[in-house]
Parts: sequence; structure tokens; C-alpha cells
Amino acid sequence: MAIVKTENTPARAAPLTERSIIGWMSKNLFSSVFNSILTIVTLYVIYITVKDLWVWGIGDAVWIAETRRECFTISIDGACWAGVIAWFDNIFYGRYPREELWRINLGAILLFIWMAPLWLPRVKAKVFIAVTTVFLYPFLAGYLFAGGDKGIFMQVMITAAIVCLVANTLHSIIGVSNGTSLPGLVLRLLGKNNAPEKSQRIILFSILLVCFIVVYLWQMSWSAQGVSWTKWGGLFLTFVIAGVGIASALPGGIVLALGRRSKLPVIRVLSTAFIELFRSVPLITVLFMATTMFPLFMPEGFILNKLTQVIIAVCLFNACYMAETVRAGLQAIPRGQFEGAHTIGLGYWGTMGLVVMPQALKHMIPNIVGTFIGLLKDTTLVSIIGLFDILGMLRSVSRDTPWIGLHKEPLIFGAILFFLICFAMSKYSRHLEVKLSTGHKK
Amino acid sequence: MTDTDKQEKQNAGEQLASAISSEVMIDLKQVNKWYGSFHVLKDIDLIVHKGERIVVCGPSGSGKSTLIRCINHLEEHQTGSIVVDGITLDKNLKNIDHIRTEVGMVFQNFNLFPHLSILENLTLGPIWVRKMPKADAHAIAMEYLERVKIPEQADKFPGQLSGGQQQRVAIARSLCMDPKIMLFDEPTSALDPEMIKEVLDVMVELADTGMTMIVVTHEMGFAETIADRVIFMDQGDIVEENEPNGFFNHPEHERTRLFLSQIL
Amino acid sequence: MALGDSRSKTDQVKPKDQFDLLHDERVRSVVYQLLTAAVVGWVGWYLFTTTAHNLEMRGMDSGFGFLGFEAGFDPAFRLVAYEVGVGTYGDIFLIGILNTLYISFLSIIAMTLVGFSVGVLRLSNNWLVAKVALAYVEIFRNTPLLIQVIFWYTGIFSLLPQIRNSLDLSAGAEVVLLNNRGLYLPWPVPGDLLWMTGLALGIAIILAVLFRRWAHKRQDITGQLIPTLIPGAALIVFLPGIVYWMTGSPLGWEIPELEGFNFAGGATLPPAFLALFVALTIYHSAHLAESVRAGILSVGPGQSDAAMAIGLRKNRLMSLVIIPQAMPAIVPPMISLWMNVVKNSSLAIAIGYPDLVAVFMQTSLNQAGHAIEIVGMTMAFYMFVSLTISWLLNIYNKRVQLVER
Ligand SMILES: Nc1ncnc2c1ncn2[C@@H]1O[C@H](COP(=O)(O)OP(=O)(O)OP(=O)(O)O)[C@@H](O)[C@H]1O
Ligand SMILES: [Mg+2]
Repeated sequence: MAIVKTENTPARAAPLTERSIIGWMSKNLFSSVFNSILTIVTLYVIYITVKDLWVWGIGDAVWIAETRRECFTISIDGACWAGVIAWFDNIFYGRYPREELWRINLGAILLFIWMAPLWLPRVKAKVFIAVTTVFLYPFLAGYLFAGGDKGIFMQVMITAAIVCLVANTLHSIIGVSNGTSLPGLVLRLLGKNNAPEKSQRIILFSILLVCFIVVYLWQMSWSAQGVSWTKWGGLFLTFVIAGVGIASALPGGIVLALGRRSKLPVIRVLSTAFIELFRSVPLITVLFMATTMFPLFMPEGFILNKLTQVIIAVCLFNACYMAETVRAGLQAIPRGQFEGAHTIGLGYWGTMGLVVMPQALKHMIPNIVGTFIGLLKDTTLVSIIGLFDILGMLRSVSRDTPWIGLHKEPLIFGAILFFLICFAMSKYSRHLEVKLSTGHKK
Repeated sequence: MTDTDKQEKQNAGEQLASAISSEVMIDLKQVNKWYGSFHVLKDIDLIVHKGERIVVCGPSGSGKSTLIRCINHLEEHQTGSIVVDGITLDKNLKNIDHIRTEVGMVFQNFNLFPHLSILENLTLGPIWVRKMPKADAHAIAMEYLERVKIPEQADKFPGQLSGGQQQRVAIARSLCMDPKIMLFDEPTSALDPEMIKEVLDVMVELADTGMTMIVVTHEMGFAETIADRVIFMDQGDIVEENEPNGFFNHPEHERTRLFLSQIL
Repeated sequence: MALGDSRSKTDQVKPKDQFDLLHDERVRSVVYQLLTAAVVGWVGWYLFTTTAHNLEMRGMDSGFGFLGFEAGFDPAFRLVAYEVGVGTYGDIFLIGILNTLYISFLSIIAMTLVGFSVGVLRLSNNWLVAKVALAYVEIFRNTPLLIQVIFWYTGIFSLLPQIRNSLDLSAGAEVVLLNNRGLYLPWPVPGDLLWMTGLALGIAIILAVLFRRWAHKRQDITGQLIPTLIPGAALIVFLPGIVYWMTGSPLGWEIPELEGFNFAGGATLPPAFLALFVALTIYHSAHLAESVRAGILSVGPGQSDAAMAIGLRKNRLMSLVIIPQAMPAIVPPMISLWMNVVKNSSLAIAIGYPDLVAVFMQTSLNQAGHAIEIVGMTMAFYMFVSLTISWLLNIYNKRVQLVER
């Protein structure tokens, strides 16, 4: 006899163990006797640690004081944050002239404006924006930060950077608001959007030229007081070194990685040796090499300042690390992609530039971000050879007469700062990883 | 099907019979290839005339893929000569580049570029290799997409298409380069049965146009309908070569008979 | 219209068939390689000549003769005998290498143990424990190692009590003492018959291994499961223990005693050593924990399901199914972390632990000059270590591949 069910069974609520907080706890915290003991012991340890930290760092801490001695008189076993607060400007900007700080802030804001479109949806030509950030922004920022006389070359680059920044920004605004591009809109406004490609190009080019000349004439009147690199310091200097290192790491790393995968033995061997040399020694030895050996390499009368030496060393070091990241990314591209590109007649550069690199770079982004985090943390090593980056500044607090012996607080402040930056970046890279692994079908 | 259509088809068929000219498109003489010490191709001699359609079959590992990959220099042969459309495949990079633009190839696993849309996949070659204006490249790409009956997929990405659709895109991608020869390496063996048909239909239609084709396949029905010649390979040798009727009905070689009995 | 001829053919010029110098693959390959070699060679030559010129201008000589010169300073911590006024730069090089290897070795052991533990705790089914492990990993991975090193040194180990108020870590026995001069430990003084205990230990280990083999064979034949872990451990502990006792406990301990303002006797680990050790251990264990976790997770739930489906218990499941599969994913990153420990031990220079970089690349270089030789020797040492470690890695990878086959 057939059994027929006439009504659907209605869904019922899950038992308490599945949904209530008590059920959750009994499953995840007290599932066995051992687990219960573990939970209680852990809770106790957390309680002790957090309480002590709280009392020291917040409860009994001193926020306003003139000297460390004053801190002690207010509270003997609390943190003396007043010292850190008094040194705030130094920690962030080093000994940069106080009335010129706006230049650093402006540089940071410009960088933000330049890069923000990369994260906006609907903006086209992101690759162009990214490439110009790497190749043009440094000139603009360099002039802003260092000031002084600017030669013809510098003037041209600054002009190019400004024109590019304005164009990028307009382009992004247009992109976000109606999904087209700047050249498209310009052509439409001029009623030339159906003209042949060649004349379109001529029109756009001449507009660009006019803008360029106008900006060039305008920037000739600028003059910024020169600030010697010895005055640079703090988080600002850390970012400058890390920024240049990171920006040069990717192009350098790509070149080295391609060299290492080359079919030509000489190129392969040289690239491999170079990469392995720098990857097997500590950064500090590379920095020492830069400061002690570079002067011997230079022709007479040509002196590199310490900052330049350090930046060159950091760039070389970073490029070699990035090369391995890139190589891993290239290895992940299946052979069929190379073959597919060959069968439609693309040569080496076409295959690499149009087919392989775009895919490889996209999948490498999480690893690249990971490498960047490592590089940023490593940048603190420059304090060892006497640059006053953020760590150098943090350590100077304890040598400042009013705050003599104040070690812990500045270091903890610095650690928190780095933690926030690095943690945010690593979370972001993990997010990207998930997004790429699920969404690569678009 | 209307009468005029039929008429046209018949005309095309008649042309077909006479389409095989005496002009030699591919000429392999005593080609040998080794992977390390492993001898994959042994003294291969093969002449393919313009408009001829060759089907290559044989057991797994017999060197079929290697043979056709040598023809557009995805693999390098060590001795012997390969001449494609009058150009010798040697160390001259220009010759290789040139031959690759004349020889299209379709792979078992499609090898579409996953980071580009279908349309971009099709226009990549015309724009960057043929240096064609973008608009023209688009027009041609759309035309071929229509031929392979998926113009509506132009803006999707390869990952969003079914296997059969992807393979048809791959065929269209090769055709966009306007090749004189098409090579197919087991184009249907990664596909489900119902998708096989849609791909084979496209290939039959392509054969009707008089394209020179070399097809590695185990689809024997397909081989019988389109092939001018069937080549059987075993352990790096061309063991038997015949027109399809003779090949399938009166195989001469022991190995061929064994192979056919297993596959049919 | 037919499929093939739908548009006018673009003009294609047929390239010639003859030898074409510009486009020949071999010619190009040779030209590219020669160009690269020439550029690199030119840069090398240029650097060499300018350097030689500069050295000459400054009246500096080159060569390794300076290694025989008297160094005239005393590294604050060393493992071999050294006398100021006699010891040479060569001795200093050796002391630096030993110090680097010493701290690296101890940190590597500690970091591996801690890293594995934290990695397993990360996967604990106790939510709280898993989260604490996560916090440990994230906090220590995301702050620069140098800040941690300096923090442990200036913020913790230098602020410990004075010698007179030393912390007693041995619970009242006053043999392990910690103060702002460092950690004071008793040091073993071997007696005459100690070799017998050593011998007994060796024999016990061999016996334990043989026992294990025998037990496995027996299991293969009879299917009988014989516990090997506890008997083996007992053997290794008791056999040497009995011999040690019977030979009259031939091992003395030298205990640190307060003499004047300092302790004498026993072994001393300076604060810089302790700070560096703790920082290296914590920082790298946090990284290792992530690799361990990822390695275990990479095995995938299907494997545990399948193992449980054939009735394996949790501990056997771990040892027979999960761990063997996870190890190939854990070991390579672990070995490269070991390399990182060696490299990062060079941060010693920031807190004055006399490692190779500090005593050789900094102090010796400042005193004796010879930048090129010293930088070269130091880098060569690290490259040697790195090559050794990648050699280990290769051996491991080969073995894994053999097993997989
Ligand atoms: N890159 C390579 N290196 C070494 N041996 C190879 C390589 N590619 C192919 N082979 C070997 O060469 C032989 C021929 O391979 P090929 O791919 O041409 O066979 P096939 O006839 O296409 O087989 P299938 O039907 O399985 O595709 C095989 O034995 C294969 O193992
Ligand atoms: Mg094949």
C-alpha cells in the first residue's frame, strides 16, 4: 500500500542547543571537562592581563604632564603617555620645519586623490592610473617635500604630474557619475565622437598640449623653501622610504622574474644570482653595504647622501623579494595560455603583456600586499644606520631631557601604529584573496 | 531548409570535390622529434594539399598532438624539414611569427584567456598582431561569433560559458586571424555528448568552405563525413594512411584493426 | 557566403626563406646574451676600477691581511676564549659567527615548538583558546620585529631588579637567577665516568628504535598493536638514569654565587641575548603558527571524514592521515622561517648583542676599514647558511616526492 503524505511538514525551530547562547557555549567552550577547565584558566589569564594592561595603560596613565618626573608624581605605576603626546609632531614628521608641514600633508592628500579611483567602481583605465602613480607622483611629491631649485627636467615632470592628476581626477568623476571616460566626454562635447580615430587622436593630443603648456607656465612661478633631507624624519620618512621601495619593487621584480624564467642561460643565471644574493642576506647587511661600499663605487667628487644610499639599497632588496612573488604568480599560469597566445601570433612581449601578466598580477595581488607589509615593517631597520625614521624618533624620546628613560610608551605607541596599518593591509589582502578565488569568473 | 539553401549547399559540395588543388600547404619530410631521449616522432613524411582535410587518430601517447604542434612550432622538431605554405620552419623568428598567423589552432581545453571578455579574446590577435583598427576588428569578431552562433555571448567572460560554447569561441578566435590552415587537437574530447554536436557542426561547416584542416579526433562518424584522408599513428609512426572508406572498412595494418575494433 | 572568405584578405608579405641575420633565433639569443653580459661586465669593470682608484686615493690597502691584526676590543658575550690585545679580527669573525649561530639555533628550537603549539591551538574546538591563539598570531606578526626586539630589551630585560634583588626562577633554590645583568644558570661540570651515562643513553636510543621496528614488523605479521611510545621513553630515561646513579652521579653543577657586585660561576646570558631570543621566538612562532594551521587545513575535511568512516580514532586519524599529509605543506615554509631567524638575528646590533654583524660589520669595519672584504665575508657567511638550509629543503622535498610516488 502506498503511503501518501498530504500535508507538508512545517519547519520548526531548532532545539535550544543549536541556537541559544547557552547552547553555543556548551558546544564551543564547555564541551568536555578538559575544555571547561581550559576555558576557565584562559579566561582567568585574559582577565589578569587585560586588567593589568588597562590599569597601566589607561586607568593610571598620565596624559598631561611636562616631564617624566611630573608623570611619576601624578602616578607612579601608570603609563606616561604625556611624553608621546609631546613628541607627536616629531614622531610623525621628524624635524621637518613646523611651518612647512602643510607640504607633507598636501603630498599625502594628493597621493590619496591619485590612488582613490583605483578602488572606485565604473572607473576605466585603472592600469593607467596605477602606472602614473608609480612614475609621475614621485616627482611631484619629491619637489613638494624637498623644495629648492627645480631644473628643467624636474619642471617638465612636475607639470606632467599635475596635468595627469587633474585628468585622472576628472576622468574618475566622470566615470563614477555616468560610466564614460574623459576623452569620450571631451569628444562628445566637441561633437567629434563619430570622427575617424586619427582626427580624434589629434584633437585630444592638442588639448593635452595646451593644458601642459598652461600648467608649465603656471608652475614656473612656484618656489618652495628647500628642506634638507637631514630634517626629514618620523613616520613621514618611513613612508617615503617604504613608498619608493614598494613602487620600484614591482617593476624591478617583474624584470628580474622574467629574467629568471628566460630561456637564455646568461640572462637566467645573472638574474638568479642577483635575486638569490639579496634574498639570502639580512637587510641590515645590505644597508651597511650601501653606506660603506657605495662611496667607494662613486667617481671622485660625486657623493650620494645617506638617504639616497639607503633608498637604493631598499629598492634592490625589495625588487629581489618581489621577483620571487612574481615568479610564483607566473608559474601559476597554465601552459595553455602561452600556447593560446602563440597560436594567434603573439610574440614574447605580446604574450607576456597582454595575456600572461594581466592574469598573473591579478592573482598575485594578495601576495604582493603581503610582501608590501613585510617591506614596510623592514623599513624600520634604517634607524639602525642612523636615519631618524619613526623608530629612530620613538627611541629619541628616551634621550630627550624632560623624558629621559621613557622607553616603553613610545615603543608601544609605534607598535600599535604599525599594527593598525599592517593588520588592515593583511585583512584587506585576505579579503581580496577570497574575492579573487570566488569571483574570477566575474 | 529551403530549396535555394539546398542548392547552395550542393554547389558548395561540388566545389568541395574540386577544392583540393595540387598546391602543397604542408610538407613534412623525415621529421623526427625527441623529448629528452624519448623518440616521439619517427621519420614522419606527410604532404597536405590546399583544401585537404586530414583526420589523425591513434592510441593515446602515439604522438598525434606532438605532430600537429610541430606544424605551428609550439614544439620544435629536431631533424627533418617542415614547410608550411612555402615557408620553412627553422630558427628564423620572422618565419615562425608568420606561420603562426597563418595557422590557427584549437585545443582540447580551449585555452581561452579568462581575463578577457569573449569579444576581447577574439579581437586580441587582429588588433595586436594584424594591427587592425579596433572598429574593424570588432566587426570581424562579431561576424565570426555569428557564424559559430553565439553573438549574444560577446560581452561575457570565458568562465561563464558552457564547454561547447567555449570551444566555438576558440574556433572563432582562430578564424579571426584569417588562417589558411586550421589545426584541431581533440577539440571535442573535453565535452559532454550534446555539446560535441554543436562543435562538430561548426567544424563541418568550416570544412565545407574549403579550409585546409588537420583534425586529431576520435569522432569516427565525423571523420567519415569530412575527411579526405585518415592517418593512423602508433608509437610515433604513421602506420596507415588511407581515404576514409578504405580506412574504416578495409584496414590493412594489424594495429589499425585492433584500434578500430576497440573504438567502434 | 562561405565561412572562410568573408572579408578581403589583408596583405601578407611572405617572408623569405633564406638565412635572415636579423630574425634568426640563434643569432638573437646570442646577441641578447652578449649584450647582457657586456652591460653587466661593463658595470662590474667600472665599479672595480673606480673602487680601486678610490682606495688608492685614500691610501687604503686591500686584501685579507687585516684578519691577522689585533682587534683591541672585547665582545661582550662570546663562546670561545679571547683575550683583548691578543685576539685578532679573524678571531672576532669567528666569535661573531658562533654568537649568531648560537642565538639562531636556540631561537629556532623554541620558535618551532611554540609555533606548532600555537598553530594547533588556532584550530582548537575551544572557541576562546582559538581566539587567543589568533590574537597572538595577529599581534606579533603585524608589528615590526625590530620594535619588538627593542621593546623586550629596553622595556623589559633592562628594567629588571638589580643584582642584589635578583628574581629567583628556581623557587627559592637560588640557582637560576634573573636580574638586569642577565640570566644566571648553573653550568654542568662533567666528572670522570660521565661517558658511561652517555654510552648508556646511546644504547637506550638504539634499543628503543629497534623495539619500535620489531613492534611494527610484529604488527605487520600478527596484526597485534604493541604500544611503543611509553616503553621506549621509559627505556631512554631509566637506562642512562640507572647507569648515572651507579657510577656515582658523575656530573657536578657550578652554581652562580654572588661575589662582590656580580655573580661568578655558572653561565650568564646577557639581557640583550634574552631580549633577542624572546623576540625572535615570538615573532617567528607567530608566522609558523599560520603555516601550521594552513598546512593542517589544506588536508581538507574529506580526509577526516574518510578516516573516521573507516573507524580510525581521533589520535590515529591525526598521526596516520592528517599529519603525514600536512607535513609536506608545513615543512618548506618552516625551513624558510628558520632561514629568517638566522637573518633576523642580525637585529642584535640594535641592542648590543655581539652577533656577526655587530662585531664584524660594525665595530671591526669602523676600526679597521676594509669595507669590501668585511661586507663580502659577512654576506658570504649568510649565503653559506642559506645554501645549507635550501639544501636541507631539497633533501626533504626529494624524500616527500619519493613517498608520494
Ligand atoms: N613535454 C613533454 N615532455 C616529455 N614527454 C612528453 C611531453 N609531451 C608529451 N610527451 C610524451 O610524448 C608522447 C606523445 O605525446 P602526445 O601528446 O603527442 O600523444 P597523443 O597521441 O596526443 O596522446 P593523447 O591521445 O593522449 O593526447 C607521450 O608518450 C608523452 O608522454
Ligand atoms: Mg594529445
